[in-house]
Order: sequence, then C-alpha cells, then structure tokens
Amino acid sequence: MSKKLVHTPEGVRDIYGEEKAAKTIVERLLHEKITAYGYRDIQTPTFEFFDVFSREVGTTPSRELYKFFDKEGNTLVLRPDFTPSVARCAAKYFMDEDVPIRFCYQGNTFTNTSNLQGKLKEVTQMGAELIGDDSVQADAEMIAMTIEALYHAGLSDFQISIGNLEYFKGICAEAGLDEETELELRECISGKNYFGAEELLERTHVGKKDKELLLKVSDLFGGVQILEEAKKAVSNKRSRHAIERLEKVYQVLCDYRVEKYVSFDLGMLSKYNYYTGIIFKGYTYGVGDAIVKGGRYDHLLTRFGKDAAAIGFVIVVDDLLAAMGRQDVIIAGIEDPVRLYYKESDFKEKLQEARRLRSAGKKVELLHE
Amino acid sequence: MSEEKYLTFALGKGRLANKTMDLFEKIGITCEEMKDKDSRKLIFVNEDLKLKFFLAKGPDVPTYVEYGAADIGVVGKDTIMEENRRIYEVLDLGYGRCRMCVCGPKSAGELLKHHEMIRVASKYPNIAKDYFYNKKHQTVDIIKLNGSVELGPIVKLADVIVDIVETGSTLKENGLEVLEEICPLSARMIVNQVSMQMEPERIKKLIMELRSHLS
Repeated sequence: MSKKLVHTPEGVRDIYGEEKAAKTIVERLLHEKITAYGYRDIQTPTFEFFDVFSREVGTTPSRELYKFFDKEGNTLVLRPDFTPSVARCAAKYFMDEDVPIRFCYQGNTFTNTSNLQGKLKEVTQMGAELIGDDSVQADAEMIAMTIEALYHAGLSDFQISIGNLEYFKGICAEAGLDEETELELRECISGKNYFGAEELLERTHVGKKDKELLLKVSDLFGGVQILEEAKKAVSNKRSRHAIERLEKVYQVLCDYRVEKYVSFDLGMLSKYNYYTGIIFKGYTYGVGDAIVKGGRYDHLLTRFGKDAAAIGFVIVVDDLLAAMGRQDVIIAGIEDPVRLYYKESDFKEKLQEARRLRSAGKKVELLHE
Repeated sequence: MSEEKYLTFALGKGRLANKTMDLFEKIGITCEEMKDKDSRKLIFVNEDLKLKFFLAKGPDVPTYVEYGAADIGVVGKDTIMEENRRIYEVLDLGYGRCRMCVCGPKSAGELLKHHEMIRVASKYPNIAKDYFYNKKHQTVDIIKLNGSVELGPIVKLADVIVDIVETGSTLKENGLEVLEEICPLSARMIVNQVSMQMEPERIKKLIMELRSHLS
C-alpha cells in the first residue's frame, strides 16, 4: 500500500470519532444562539473570483490565498473568510432592501499559511453579519450574541476585548501622519510594541505632544476605566466620538448583563482593511490567538454597489474546540449508539427492536454476532 | 480569579537568562530556587508572587509563548524575527546588544551592489530571505546552516553569510568582514496575546515597572 495514500497534506486533517461528535455539538449550540437572535442561514460558494478577496477589499495577503484558474483563465480563490462573500451576496440580492438584514453562516475557509507552525490551513468558521444597521444597539447585539454563544457552547473563562479604530485614526489625523507611517505604526501598536513605535516616531517630525499621545495608545487596554483615561488624553472630535460610542455600547452590554466578559483595548488595530469602527476579539486560555474576531465594516458593501453599514463576527470553531479541550470543558451530549447483535436466525426480531428504538430517538447499530 | 493563576516566564538559556534575572531582581522579582546552580529542576517557582520560570532553547521561546505554555518570554530579537510568531513584543531590555549583518570576504562586497544571483548561507533563512527579497530586491539562493556559518564563504559553499555580529573578532580571524548591516538586535520581552487580555493589570504593571527602570 502506498504511504502517500493514507496521509493528508500538511495543514489539513481528518476529524472523526469523539472529536467530530464534539465539534458537531458545539456547532449546533453556537448556531442555536445565533438563530435565536433572528439570523438566517446563508451559503456562499467555496471559491469565488479573486477580486472578491483582493487587496482593496483587504482580508488575506494575496500570497496566502489558494488560487487557481478556470477554463476562461479567470483567477479563482478558495475563500479565506466569509465576510466579503456575504457582503457581495447582500449587495447583489438585497440591493433595495431598507430594513436591516441578518445572516449567519458556517463552513470551511482556506489560507495558505506557513508550514511547521502548527496552524491549520483549512478551518471551520461560524459567524454572523448584520447589514444595514449602524446603531449602538447593533454593535452591542453582535458582542452580546458572541458572548452568549460561547457561553452556551460551554466556555466560561473568556474575555471579549473591544476597540475602536476611529480613536487611533483621529489621533493620527491630528498629528498629520502620512499613510505609510500610519500603517507601520499600526503594526507596532497592535503588537503592543511600545519601543518600536517610539523608534518609528523618532524618525518623523511629529510634535512631542502628539508623539506621547500616539505612544499612549499601546497602553490603553484593560477594564472599562481605561475609557475615561483615553477620553481625557485626547481633544480631537473623532477620537472623543470613538470613546463615546464605546461607552454607549458598554451601557447596552450592561443591559444584556454580559459586562463581566468585556474589556477594552484601544490599541487593537486589525490588519483587515475593511474594518471601520468598532472591532472586537475574543480570547480564552489554551490557544495562541483570538478565537473570535469581529467588527464594523461600513464601506465594504459600497465596493459591491450597495451603501450600507454592517457589523459582523466570526468564531473559529476549531480553535474554540482546541481551547475547550485544553481547559477540560466537558461537552455534554456525546452518546455512543446502542449495539444490537443478531444471528441469521433472529435478525427479524432484532430488526424490529432496532426500528422501535430508532423511532424512539435512540441511536442503534446492528452488528452480526 | 486572576490572583490564583501563576504567571509563567520562558527565558532563553544562558547569559540572557542570568541578565534577565538580575534585572527582575532590581524591580523586586526574585526566584531563589534558580540561584542554586546544582539544581536539576526544570521549573522554578516563586510562591509568594505566584510566578514560575523555566529555561528553554532560544528559538523555542516564541513558540512556548505563542501557545500560552508561557505567558511571558525573554529572547533575542533575531529569534523573534526568524520565528515570526503571533506574539506581543513589548519591551527592549537593552542588553545582549549585537547586529544582524551580511558578511563575507571583502571581494564579495561587489556582489551586493548588483542584482545578480548569489548564494547566502545562514542560520536565519527567513531573515536572510526577507532582507534580500524585500529590501534589496536581489535574487539569492539561501543555504541553511546550523552553526559555524563563517565557514560558508571560506570553503566556497556560499558567497556571503547572514549572521549575528557582536565584536567581529571571529570574522576578522577568518578574513571576513561586515559588508552590510541588516538591523540592530537586543533582548526583548514578549507576551502571549491571550495572557495580555486575560491578565492586563498584572502584566501591564510589570511592563511599566521595567520600562521606568530601563529609561
């Protein structure tokens, strides 16, 4: 037998047995919560035209996309995430819709990441998008729903960290940073790299006060009290508005009674180009990266021809399961099928019994003795 | 909840770890267990402050930190660049200063001025690749070596090497010299992204104390 036949390529794997059973249950629990908020399922194609995921729409670097050609020579891409697809779909079929639309989706995404770092190239994502609603309530609904879904799935020790890109952008605009420096600075600050940011700013001609302010952003994370601190630090309108928005969202989250899972991080500046305002990430022990990523992307739909505000999030289901496994969270409801053994002679009776049990909702496996 | 958890530190073995413990001692973080040179323990604990320390091979430190096996790590900038992991790089600790350089015999300097294909030997293939491809736009053939990289140009395995230079004396003894500097290096403190969000107060306090001590 060829060894090559039984192995899977690096970055993809088989999921079976108890692990798959757990995954199915967790997916069902997450889905239950999301649909309870009135979100409707949507399915988009596994691959799409390259332009849907290109740099301007800004999700995954081009070299990390799986690309191939169709017969006409168009470049196609295996989806690296869902948001652009859902936005495209919403723009196409709901062009004239004025009421907010709520979508949820689930499926596998593909990124061609580096080898040997223990990261999967195919992961299951589940998420939701709320299109056509730019209110504080919409922001809070997304975050509260994320928290409730994670909790419903069985996770209890986690934090949702919320930021607002506008705060940083306001300071940058005031300091008169050019785009290139801003991007470099964004990388330093989102990496909490204070001295890297300091070094970078030394090379520019930004004034001392603005410099200090920009550096301070990398320290602005923690409980709700940092909002006050952040507000005091700035005088420009854009940044102040950003904080006021966060304060209002926090108020609504208190109404949802989920505030204990919430913290703030104004240095969270996603590398995804399409996010415009509030962004948030969910963290828990046992995995190296956020298991939830979400945020507002008010201009993405415009690219597909529909002017509509939107906010969404995605849960990386495989990472969530890995975290639950490492935290020894027990996933209830995994049951093995009942085994019924039969001989040629008593097959009829055993079959009757199996049918009876099955119609009573039991799982039954018929086996030859 | 937060007070019961240990904060775990992964330190790059050797001089770096010793210097780090010296620095930590100055801000009141000690670990008596670690001072015992004969100890065969792998993990050292400070029960009062709820801290744990372990020593690891340099290149593994970012890995431990990324996966949350350690909350905080101390390691050279070279390793961080080479490993390119999803971690927060929060502090330049200032010691362990050296430079990442392109080195070779003087005659090889000419090769770096054009875009012709050359062979580069290095322990740091990712750093070398990034420098030549993205900064110099020169096509190169990279050969990964695991030590005594200086041998590369001498035995004609490669035209130049990319390596750490501290004093330059090894280079000189072997008739090599620094041709180009890629970047300065020093010891850095790195933090797991999740730990930073789950324990912001404790970690922030530590960073602030170190930062004010260093400046």
